[in-house]
Amino acid sequence: MLTTKPKPKNARAKRAMEKRAPQTHENPKTTLFVTGNKSSQILKNAVADLASLKRPLCERFNRKNDIHPFEDPSSLEFFAEKNDTSMIVLNIHSKKRPHCLTFVRTFNYKILDMLELYLDPDTFRTLQQFKNKKPAIGLKPMIAFHGTVFESPNETKYTLAKSLFLDFFRGQEIPEIDVAGLQYLISISAEEEEEGQTAPKIHLRSYLIKTKRSGQKLPRVEVEEMGPRMDFTVGRERFPDPEMLKDALKKPKGTEAKTKKNIDMDNMGDKIGKVHVGKQDFNTLQTRKMKGLKRGRDEDGAANGDDAATMVGEGEDDESDGGVELPTAKKGRF
Amino acid sequence: MDVVSPSLADSTATSRLPVTVNKPTPFTFDLGNLTAFDPNPLPRGASEDDLADIARDGAQALINQLLSTCEAKSTSDGVHLVLPAPITALPREKPIPEDKPPTKWELFAKKKGIKDKKREGKMVYDEASGEWVPKWGYKGKNKEGDNEWLVEVDEKKERETGEAGDSRADSRRERKERIRRNERKQRANDRSARKTG
Repeated sequence: MLTTKPKPKNARAKRAMEKRAPQTHENPKTTLFVTGNKSSQILKNAVADLASLKRPLCERFNRKNDIHPFEDPSSLEFFAEKNDTSMIVLNIHSKKRPHCLTFVRTFNYKILDMLELYLDPDTFRTLQQFKNKKPAIGLKPMIAFHGTVFESPNETKYTLAKSLFLDFFRGQEIPEIDVAGLQYLISISAEEEEEGQTAPKIHLRSYLIKTKRSGQKLPRVEVEEMGPRMDFTVGRERFPDPEMLKDALKKPKGTEAKTKKNIDMDNMGDKIGKVHVGKQDFNTLQTRKMKGLKRGRDEDGAANGDDAATMVGEGEDDESDGGVELPTAKKGRF
Repeated sequence: MDVVSPSLADSTATSRLPVTVNKPTPFTFDLGNLTAFDPNPLPRGASEDDLADIARDGAQALINQLLSTCEAKSTSDGVHLVLPAPITALPREKPIPEDKPPTKWELFAKKKGIKDKKREGKMVYDEASGEWVPKWGYKGKNKEGDNEWLVEVDEKKERETGEAGDSRADSRRERKERIRRNERKQRANDRSARKTG
């Protein structure tokens, strides 16, 4: 099908379109918080806390929307396109699925993957219930995943949750970070999977980092919980379509770091370069000259005719006695 | 917990606060995302204290790794750590942008094997005046002869066309026509790029 892009009518529209167009180096993902047709106070608090951790890379909808993403995700795709957000968190509360947060990711405004997480209302604590100083808005968190379920080589609900949470919390990609900016940690842990028992819960905790002098070069780290505290039970999921995921994971050309030849690191962390020097011609090598090795006069006379230049050179050397001649240095290429 | 907490194990040996994390399975890191992955099992029924303990170990290990492997830069507003690129594969938001379709000229040049000519700069030497003048633009070389106060009549041309042409006006007209033609081609290429892309 031949689809023609609409032509922008003015310069402002053109700029806006260019900003939304696919880019080689992408902007950080924005998250959209949507409320379903029924919500609960617990969910509202949870969404407020998640949004405050996400700020400024988030948008929130206040109105209710009758969306059931596992039946018909088209309105979520519409929201994603309209708001240019590739991550959506939908909150719905129902008897069958109590306090449900659905994490949805889109690729090219189409649903990529989804995961339902049911919030445990008993253990939930908000950000405000912990009385301490919160980190500044938009600070990049440190993230830690604990537990074997996240390391599974297969595609499970837990590996999907890991990918979603990492994508959700990581924020902007930055080339360098201020040491003073390492202020809080988001710890996501899950217990062991055991047969005959319920699926393990995912514990989402966030902690403020306190560093103490340890008398050594590295500081001693202590943590203090700052909230929110959330425990999730995993619900329904939709794994990404392999074809679509393959497209989504493609790396743009020219972003791989070039491997530099002949430069490597030894196990002490020192940089070692190997220099290749061209093959040396031993015939032209100038060795140490001694009187005893000098050619006699009669030989000299014979050599005089064909090699006058060497004669001159030897004569000069006699005057400046004892100078060590080095072979001419050759320039090595790196 | 069957995993011995390092804080308990080390504190007896030395009065210094321990800074190392000893776990049966070592952590893996994605420093570009400031992330640590702890593959050690967490037993069922972990309490809040257990969770705080493993989080502390995770934070300690991550900070140790950051401070020991990343290059530190001291600036006027603190010490900065240079982070490596993220290694965890996360999906993109939108597909990789496609290359612009080649213009008609690019296709033609490829077919004919015409290579780009290196431009030698804007200025060109004017033999007559012995000065460097711009190739185009204000007082450009391509406007040479446009302001001659007197021009010779091209007899041959006059014989053919029957009127005395003005070479000053002719050169100007030709130049303007070339500009318009180029603009026409640009528009055509833009149009075809929009249609296909």
